[in-house]
Amino acid sequence: MAEVIRRICERVEIPWIYKSCYDKDCRSSPDSFHGLGLDHGLRVLSDVRQEFGIPIVSDFSDPAWGSATGEVCDMVQVPAYLCRQTSILRAAAHTQRPIHLKKGQYMSPWNMKNSVRKIEANGNYQILLTDRGTFLGYNMLVNDMRCLPIMAETGYPVCFDATHSIQLPTSMGNVSGGQREFIPHLVRAAVACGVNALFMEVHDDPDHAMSDANTVLDIKFLEIILRQAKAVHELRLELLDKYGEDNVHREE
Amino acid sequence: MSIGKNETMRVSQVMLPLDRFPVIDEREILKEALDAMGRSRLGIACIVDGANKLLGIITDGDVRRKLLKVQKPFSAFFVDDAIVHAIKSPITICPTDTLRHAVELMGEKQIWDLPVVNEKNELVGLLHLHPAVKALLGIDE
Repeated sequence: MAEVIRRICERVEIPWIYKSCYDKDCRSSPDSFHGLGLDHGLRVLSDVRQEFGIPIVSDFSDPAWGSATGEVCDMVQVPAYLCRQTSILRAAAHTQRPIHLKKGQYMSPWNMKNSVRKIEANGNYQILLTDRGTFLGYNMLVNDMRCLPIMAETGYPVCFDATHSIQLPTSMGNVSGGQREFIPHLVRAAVACGVNALFMEVHDDPDHAMSDANTVLDIKFLEIILRQAKAVHELRLELLDKYGEDNVHREE
Repeated sequence: MSIGKNETMRVSQVMLPLDRFPVIDEREILKEALDAMGRSRLGIACIVDGANKLLGIITDGDVRRKLLKVQKPFSAFFVDDAIVHAIKSPITICPTDTLRHAVELMGEKQIWDLPVVNEKNELVGLLHLHPAVKALLGIDE
């Protein structure tokens, strides 16, 4: 899939980072596929990095895995559920790699500043903040696009996770559901609002995906979504250039 | 009323030392500033940089005015850096200024506290109106 994604991103002229997880620690069921494990998984990621010449990112759910993850990956990711765990944030900071920090579904965007400060306190100032949806009651996520400018107030770039945002967490008993039909709508909305990056999980056979089968985007739709995202992004920059940066009713 | 010899008293003789009033780092959040103000029982916090240079002040009045103006939830308000809601160019006084001048200045500006800074804009103390007036009147603390 890395090769297919690379060709698409080259055609659309969007720089990209490959992401896979070697141990998914927040599956809904004890029987769900967890991944290949630390050693095997990182070897595969390292091979992808070498073979395709692309930067890679992976998340880690145990502070003890931080060091090994940072040695192999160009960027390390802190899972949304763990976004306020001091031990994970410390381990991520100590890798000295840029950190992809996802906003927990339970967190307000302004409280992500606390997590940012924990990372900074450990000497790392390279952070990307991502919105992946916010719980609206049980088993339902919604996207408040205000999350993006609010998190950007930290001074760090922001990202929108389009595929996890349409997840219906554990809505199917022991598996999460998802409403993939809304991915393009949310991508356009987030990019129009203003993001520095997009995050999407894609698969060439979603029905047989071993994880997030109900939320991954079929790779056949990737190019059309990226082309729209790029067009909206360029339009936004054009508008900002024409009318100036957003500065409406800002507090003095 | 004559205040006699107290006429020549200097700000440095009456000001509160740095450990007696809230002095917070520029990256402290508003909630921490409010806590510090509560602990010291003063309605002011001074915000300084790493070199102790005064960057701003935040007072009870500033917070009161902001409460009426800021429409964001309290949880978002509290996590803002205090400096965001601070007065960035506060009225200050020098330690060598006379107390009388300082008190007159407070009367003129309708304020109760004056951050005391040296010639390098480093915070060296805080002059609070109450002890200042007592000193001018010759009333022992």
